Amino acid sequence: MDGDQGGVTIERVAAPPPAAPRWRRIDPGRFARLALLAPTLAITLVCFIVPLGLIALYSFGSVNQVDFNVYFGWTTGNYRAFTSSLYLHTLARSVILSVSTTLVCAVIGFTFAYFISRQGPRAQRLLLVAVIVPFWTSFIVRTYSWVDLLQNLGPIDRFARALGMNGHIDILYTQYSIGIGILYSYLPLMILPIYVSLERIDPALFDAAEDLGATPWRQFRRVVLPMAVPGLIAGIIIVGVPALGEYVIPEILGGGKTLMAGNILADQFLQTGNYPFGSALAVSIMVVLMVLLFMLRRAQPAADPQ
Amino acid sequence: MNVRRHPFAAGLSLLVLLFLWLPLIGVAVNSFNRQTIMAGWGGFTTHWYGLALHDQNVRTGLETTLEIAVASALLSLAIAVSGALWWRRASPRARAVYDGLIYARIILPEVVSATALFFLFLKIHFTLGLTAIVIGHTVWNSAYAAIIVQARMAGLDPALEEAAADLGATPWRTFRRVTFAALLPAIIAAGLLAFTFSFDDVVTSVFLQGASNTPLPVVILGMIRFRITPEINAIGLLVMLFTVTLMSIAVLIYATAGSLGRSGRRGNMLDIYRGR
Amino acid sequence: MTEAAVDINGVEKRFGDLVAVRNLDLRVEPGEFFSIIGPSGCGKTTTLRMIAGFEDPTAGRISVGGRDMTGVRPYRRPVNTVFQSYALFPHLDVFENVAFGLREAKVGKAEIRTRVGEAVTLVQLQGRERSRPRQLSGGQQQRVALARALVNRPEVLLLDEPLGALDLKLRTDMQTQLKDLQRSVGVTFCYVTHDQGEAFSMSDRVAVMNHGLLEQVGTPEEIYHRPASSFVADFVGTANRFAGTVDGVEADRYSVAVDGVGPRTAGGPAGLAVGTTVQVLVRPENLQLETDGGSADRDATVVDTAFLGAERTVRLHSPKLGELTATARGSGKAPEAGSRVRLSWSDEDAWLIPAADRSQP
Repeated sequence: MDGDQGGVTIERVAAPPPAAPRWRRIDPGRFARLALLAPTLAITLVCFIVPLGLIALYSFGSVNQVDFNVYFGWTTGNYRAFTSSLYLHTLARSVILSVSTTLVCAVIGFTFAYFISRQGPRAQRLLLVAVIVPFWTSFIVRTYSWVDLLQNLGPIDRFARALGMNGHIDILYTQYSIGIGILYSYLPLMILPIYVSLERIDPALFDAAEDLGATPWRQFRRVVLPMAVPGLIAGIIIVGVPALGEYVIPEILGGGKTLMAGNILADQFLQTGNYPFGSALAVSIMVVLMVLLFMLRRAQPAADPQ
Repeated sequence: MNVRRHPFAAGLSLLVLLFLWLPLIGVAVNSFNRQTIMAGWGGFTTHWYGLALHDQNVRTGLETTLEIAVASALLSLAIAVSGALWWRRASPRARAVYDGLIYARIILPEVVSATALFFLFLKIHFTLGLTAIVIGHTVWNSAYAAIIVQARMAGLDPALEEAAADLGATPWRTFRRVTFAALLPAIIAAGLLAFTFSFDDVVTSVFLQGASNTPLPVVILGMIRFRITPEINAIGLLVMLFTVTLMSIAVLIYATAGSLGRSGRRGNMLDIYRGR
Repeated sequence: MTEAAVDINGVEKRFGDLVAVRNLDLRVEPGEFFSIIGPSGCGKTTTLRMIAGFEDPTAGRISVGGRDMTGVRPYRRPVNTVFQSYALFPHLDVFENVAFGLREAKVGKAEIRTRVGEAVTLVQLQGRERSRPRQLSGGQQQRVALARALVNRPEVLLLDEPLGALDLKLRTDMQTQLKDLQRSVGVTFCYVTHDQGEAFSMSDRVAVMNHGLLEQVGTPEEIYHRPASSFVADFVGTANRFAGTVDGVEADRYSVAVDGVGPRTAGGPAGLAVGTTVQVLVRPENLQLETDGGSADRDATVVDTAFLGAERTVRLHSPKLGELTATARGSGKAPEAGSRVRLSWSDEDAWLIPAADRSQP
């Protein structure tokens, strides 16, 4: 007969096995992990969340006009100041300008991204580099360059007149120049996520669609467009949200005449000293952004449509 | 190039490329333009370069910006790497919060976060100046760095660290000899990116500079406001060449870095976007 | 009794509510090639990881070379692991990969050179020391992983399904090489795989696990011819089982009343009482087919045959005995589908499995 087999049917007669040690070794894991998180916590909590919270708090405060001290007291006066037509007008224009520029950016960006995605790998790389490299150059210098280009008697003006236009283009220092500036600066940010979305589309899907009788246009509508939506929405967020708070571009290309929300905000803190009002403005911008973000996230199809 | 199938898209794309490069060409050309009124070409000159390089404001500005950029890049890297190491063993909920905070720091308009930080420093009587600027930059710089480092970390086979331990390496030596070495391309790329962002920054620098020396981009902003135009193009071209070189190095390092044992594919800058 | 190379005592491993390994007792003798096999999720990899130190047992104790390893971190254990994914360091070349453990042990430069050279030659990769892992084929990477582990002269070498990613031909070659290697080097090998054939071809002894429990430990022959449960019987080969009852115990055999067949004798595990319901196990190669007519009881109809080259598999259906499989030599005439045959087997080839065991097939 066979001897000890171990396992199922033989009863254990030997002494019960030794249990795991009673003392719980201090898990170096947990402490080390918290230590690893500490730097991130420091920069996010202390230097990001707390300041924003502070701003939110003081948006309900007021400033003493005489000694310029900022008091904290619960008042909604700052928010009510928005309803004054001056600020409302500017803020509304800010939003409209950002939104329309973002939409134009989306259309142009999508077309360009689509074009890139239809090329062979080498051409794709080349085009991507061509799009990204300007992005690596100094933001302020690039923006300033538009002052040169857009001014009356500048190259674009002369080009337009050579084509037969009367008068000058009169673009500089208007909301249009700001729009162009924003469009210019954020176009690469719009193109990239859309391109990534499009690039993921398996070329076999086109063949399949064609096999099932879809014309190029319908292929585009039913295959390309739906799969590009996540990238499109990501692009709109990455462009639209910061655009709302743009400061440098309106400063340089608006010439101090056309002010956007970002400039007003900076003004309150750097010059006027009306911190509570500035805070209220900052909070309002954040609220608008969060609403926008929320709506856009809802529009995004769940996770990866692949 | 595949143009014939999509003529409309091709045409538009050409315009886009022109649009993107026009300002750069404009800066380059005008930096050598004798004519200051920009009404045309006035002859070739390097006079503006001489002016720019001898301008004390510009030189101080450059020094200051370099200091800030290096400090912010290093700080951001420390935050990004430690965060990525924590992330690996974190619970899904903790990770979601962490990722959300990265996203928030990137998306929030710089004006708002700069304002908020300015206000905080005011309230706690923290002197504005270079340190304040470095902190301000690091708030969002660390987020960009974190994305790059984390993407690379995600491709790291956990078995590598187990293998190191199996072969006798303590946790610290495992980090030094295996993890850090594998992350190095991403760390360098992230560091260069953070440096470039810092080097280029205007908004946070304006808010937090206090009475200290002015960083270069703010110097340029001042020049624009006061219409000291000619030098700007010269400075601009030099700065552009510098930052483009840095970023090209970053991309090259990242793209030629080997795979990490998961997939057989080489790394690619856009992998960050795809989350690979 | 000599010190076991690995001694696992009453070990249990829980992950939250999931019990991955339960009440495990196992001894691996020094110098043997020991394999643990079982289906996915049976706990074999968890067991290996506990020996290596990557997991701590929830209860019980593991010793290596007689020394209790409780609380000892992997980097302090005298064991080395060959990982399923090889886990070669991508930023180091072959030489530095193999030398990794030696550098951690602060071995001198000259000795490192010698030992790495030996290890690389042992796995037949001499000349590739400066290559990077990504320049090597799967089989080559696997050998580097092997060299990297062996160069440290561990007391036990743990191998976690190392051949899984290789194609069949390469896998069979590597099996032979691994077995030869183990013989020549003499290190205790602890090998985990789900492939029974692989384990059998290389091992001195095999342990079969299922759902965290150890079903049986023994030499390949013991496991194959004398399985302890129907799970083991099915896992290591095809099994024909006939229901029966024990009606007598002799010196080293049991008398069994086999349903539908009659009184037979068979071998079996110790301690089966008269009256126990059992299953009589007869392997396909031991089931003989006769084409002459005869008693209708042991008749079966041929359902299908498959020619495999060296063997022929015959599927049969018997109204009394159910679905059966027989293996015959490849040469010779194949029984026709639909023809009737008479089954027989020799009593020496029959083995009893208790019918009331927990592991259902």
